[in-house]
Amino acid sequence: MHLGWRWEALKNGFRDATAYRVEFLFEILGSALVPASIQLVFWYALFKVGGSQTIAGLTHADLLTYTWVSMLFTQVRGGDHDFELQELIRTGQLSQYLLRPVGVVEFTYIRGLAPRLFIAALSLSAGSLIAFFLKLSIYKIFAAMTLALLGNVIHYQIGASLATSAFLWEEAYSVLMIKNMAVNFLSGELIPLNLFPESMTWMWKYTPFYLYVYGPTQYALGRWSDAEFFHALILALLWIVLGFFMIRLSWSWGIKKYLSLGG
Amino acid sequence: MFQYLETFRVQLKNNFVRQAVYRTNFLTSLIADSIWICIELALFSVIYANTSFISGWTKPQVCFFLGIFFTSDALYAIFFQTNMWNFSNLVNQGELDILLTKPINPLFLALTRSMNLGSILNVIFGLTIASHYATSSGFQGGLHWLKLGYWLTVGVSTALLLRFSFCIWVFWTERGGAFSRLYYQFFTFATKPDSLYPKMIRYTILSVLPFAFIGSVPARALLHGLSLEEHLHILAVLLGFYLLNRTLWRQGLKRYQSASS
Repeated sequence: MHLGWRWEALKNGFRDATAYRVEFLFEILGSALVPASIQLVFWYALFKVGGSQTIAGLTHADLLTYTWVSMLFTQVRGGDHDFELQELIRTGQLSQYLLRPVGVVEFTYIRGLAPRLFIAALSLSAGSLIAFFLKLSIYKIFAAMTLALLGNVIHYQIGASLATSAFLWEEAYSVLMIKNMAVNFLSGELIPLNLFPESMTWMWKYTPFYLYVYGPTQYALGRWSDAEFFHALILALLWIVLGFFMIRLSWSWGIKKYLSLGG
Repeated sequence: MFQYLETFRVQLKNNFVRQAVYRTNFLTSLIADSIWICIELALFSVIYANTSFISGWTKPQVCFFLGIFFTSDALYAIFFQTNMWNFSNLVNQGELDILLTKPINPLFLALTRSMNLGSILNVIFGLTIASHYATSSGFQGGLHWLKLGYWLTVGVSTALLLRFSFCIWVFWTERGGAFSRLYYQFFTFATKPDSLYPKMIRYTILSVLPFAFIGSVPARALLHGLSLEEHLHILAVLLGFYLLNRTLWRQGLKRYQSASS
């Protein structure tokens, strides 16, 4: 594997993301604070206003801890670089990439990954502080961050495969939005997934989305055993393998349909 | 006035023709909107599976609120949403030039050029949800449905004024992306009834950033009614936003430097 262009793409992606510092800061703050504030609002309404003692067996303190720790991982899971892919197909700019000796799917991912890695590093620093105050294991936070980063890969792989629907239709924006909305709800960044009643758990158990935020948070908080964590880790790796083949299939199909006239 | 109505009619026709050409895209956007509605309903279903009340709101009342909110938001999406996304390009890329030369208010043209007719289905969904939960939520129904038109107007006007107040800064900041994202982050506060929020946030979304006027206050008004003071407060806040936006637009135009802006 030739690392030269990958390293340059990573640096380029970081420079591009931070060129407009105010935007970058807003994005970080927004992606952290908004899901957290929704959770806090629910806990306030249920416990402080409603007077509940426990919800699904969890106390107010349990849910607050979940909220603070999940913020570390909501930062890492995101990235909208799959939208860039659909835009390349839609506008016909993909042609420029086809002439270059690099894979467009990998190139776009690496460029988009750069700011996420930076945010992951920041989150780990914050996580170390949180671990100290909440008496959590720092090793578990590092391991959980690894799972969150694998989640980032899966998230992109699914997005990159879905983006190929732009080869067939005019664009894939709506399809990617649907995916993002499902991720918001089923990754555990809006509410802990153990609040789902038994009849609704199928909604998240059969997707990889819970590996992005809920899984890492549960492990960091010590609510998942090591065995559960390794099970999740293996599942994440299997999803990545599946994602690899999904991309290979969908892109080889899509390129055959590509007319280079704007998709 | 007739000139504006005629322009609006032509814009509507052009948009319908344009969107009818891209049927698949039209269809997928319909599905995306429907899924958003399903997710919001599912989120509250999960919460209500664990409790009977959230800040005094029962599940039917929250669903009624969601119906009103979806309708109000969908009406805004049909007529204004795309134009707000395009607004920063108008300024950044100098496309505003051509609008400034037309014999009609350039802001009217900028805000009505593109329409997203795909959101019509969301209006139907929203109204269906609201009417389905109307009785169980305690809404009196009958002639009280006539108030819905007024409250939807309040909701759409609020969304328009608020979104524009986030867009207009592009005259000063060059790129509008950060403010757009910030708007949608705050917009999340509109998706829940205002009485769920702690006092400080509630005060904010009822005054300086009145996101509660989009769906929450209209739903509360339809369910329980509002006092005269509350009605006057809503009008005062919206008038304040209108005047602020008008001033910023005029100042922005003075600063506008065409394509090099």
